[in-house]
Amino acid sequence: MTVAAGIGYVLIGLGPALALFVALISTKPFLILTLLSSTLLWLITLIVLSGLWSPFLPLETTQLWPFFILLLTSIAFQEAIRILFWTAYRKLEDILDTFADRVSKPRLYHTDKMQIALAGGLGHGLAHAVFFCLSLLTPAFGPATFYVEKCSRMPFFLVSAMIALAFVIIHTFSMVIAFSGFAEQNKVDQMFVPIVHLVAGMLTLVNVASGGCMIGIPMLYLVAFVTLIYCGKMVFRRLTEAGSRQENLS
Amino acid sequence: MESGSILESIGSEIIGVMSPVSICMFLVVLLVYTLSSSSNSSSDPIRTAANLVYVETSSDSTTQKLEGSLLNALVFVILIAAVTFLLVLLYYYNFTSFLKNYMRFSAFFVLGTMGGSIYLTVIQYFSIPVDSITCFVLLFNFTVVGVLSLFSEGFPIFLRQSYMVVLGIIVAAWFTKLPEWTTWTLLVALALYDLVAVLAPGGPLKILVELASSRDGELPALIYEARPVVSRGNQGGRSALGMLVGGVSDSESVEVEMVARGEGSRNRNSGEEYTSVQIESDEIEGESTPLVPNSQERGGLENERRDGQGEISPLLELLGMGDAAGEVREDALDTEMTTSRGIKLGLGDFVFYSVLVGRAAMYDLMTVYACYLAIISGLGCTLILLAVHRQALPALPISIALGIMFYFLTRLIMEPFVVGISTNLMMF
Repeated sequence: MTVAAGIGYVLIGLGPALALFVALISTKPFLILTLLSSTLLWLITLIVLSGLWSPFLPLETTQLWPFFILLLTSIAFQEAIRILFWTAYRKLEDILDTFADRVSKPRLYHTDKMQIALAGGLGHGLAHAVFFCLSLLTPAFGPATFYVEKCSRMPFFLVSAMIALAFVIIHTFSMVIAFSGFAEQNKVDQMFVPIVHLVAGMLTLVNVASGGCMIGIPMLYLVAFVTLIYCGKMVFRRLTEAGSRQENLS
Repeated sequence: MESGSILESIGSEIIGVMSPVSICMFLVVLLVYTLSSSSNSSSDPIRTAANLVYVETSSDSTTQKLEGSLLNALVFVILIAAVTFLLVLLYYYNFTSFLKNYMRFSAFFVLGTMGGSIYLTVIQYFSIPVDSITCFVLLFNFTVVGVLSLFSEGFPIFLRQSYMVVLGIIVAAWFTKLPEWTTWTLLVALALYDLVAVLAPGGPLKILVELASSRDGELPALIYEARPVVSRGNQGGRSALGMLVGGVSDSESVEVEMVARGEGSRNRNSGEEYTSVQIESDEIEGESTPLVPNSQERGGLENERRDGQGEISPLLELLGMGDAAGEVREDALDTEMTTSRGIKLGLGDFVFYSVLVGRAAMYDLMTVYACYLAIISGLGCTLILLAVHRQALPALPISIALGIMFYFLTRLIMEPFVVGISTNLMMF
């Protein structure tokens, strides 16, 4: 249960992200660059947040409200950064389109735009998984394991890997939703993303209660699935719209 | 979308440089991780050219460490500068065959001795049952193939690239054995030296690069060439960056070489076994890293002269990016294209990026990720600057500065925060 366990935890947390990366992103250099820059952006937000909160650490585990405020500020900040990311992306899209014109290639397709959004979201998700789960996994490769008091049925590493997986899904697909929402000025989509993020963050507060992770994690997965389905529906709708538009044109 | 979206072509030259750097860093981290746990017992400080003046021990006070490491870094940089000037001098007076043979010899030595010692450590660590003769034959073959593939034509570019990465790994793994303070000051000093040597008028690397481009010759150094393996895709991509960043009117391909030498950096470490004279002579290649633009006119001339060898002309490149004309052209160019040059990155960059990440790996995985991201983004910035300025650029300063900044930010600020909230199973 040493190296095998460690690799297992890593794959639980990052398996789907890895599959997405290999299947979709690694073939297109531009998407890799998007992924890297979005990961870096997320890391910078994390550093800024920890800089802001460092005077108040360590927090007392007996009270819930400091954690509540912490999560609230963090999520608000990250959603603000998402808007920033979007404006940067808009500029980039213009550049890419003029460039495509210049080399007489087609402009970005709908699918291309969605793939860029997906790469950006995956970058956020990966950064989350890496910094909250993977970087704490080092001891899991050793001979021992670690349990936290509040969630004593499962090893800590397993719990954090599972939470990381849920957040990878949420971050990845909510970026797709958000980008399409911004592009179409769709208020529902725009509001959906911060709310999902907030709900997911608040659900992790349940873990503070003793044995809370037994309830918190399934609910987190519910949120992840809701995001996934919502995103799937939205992408389907946009693709069919685009398809019918093309038929009309031709 | 077989020929479709531009997403597939943009940025491929950046990835072509980033992926070997990433592989190099990853393997160094892996090596540091597995080996540092085993070799803790024999942790008496090694004596190399990088810590000639002062040997750090953990009991020293902070000021002592700081002063000592600063002195070390100073001496090291002076050594490198001297050796680089020597190299420039030799190159100036056309001692090229001497330089070439010297480089072969030193590559052989690095692969054989330093690589061999890492090889032995790995064998011991995993207790692989192998007898000494087999072991020796394997090592010898590995070394000879390495030297041949690095310095002769006719080997697959992939083999050459992998050996370059291996060299980087070996040297970086040795550098990670330096004590902590010395490593940090050394990295800073080297980044500064790199900046001066490449950009300042009269800087040794600048002179060298200008000499090499005026003579149309190869730089006498170990450099990683991100040559296009699949000619068409990368060719398009390369020009893509130039056009994307460089402006409308100028559609020439950005032909750039990040030249550098890591060669020198290697043998410095072998100081344990060799006298300092040998070490110095081994440093001949200096080690920082200009990014050199190949003269573009040359590309154009060659192009016409040798029927498109090297580069396709700007116009054709424009056309050749997704339509039939390109394909026709491509057939004609099939073989020549592989000899055209991509971005070049010095081995020294590989080494010192990896040293930084390897040093971060000794603290925690979190710092490794942060440093990796910082270095890669620094490299990306450098490449973009390269496309804008089109002259040799040092690849170390931005990356190293970002890397060091992120290391300390992560270590001092982020880690308590992240550990504090994630051990309470709270995430966002």
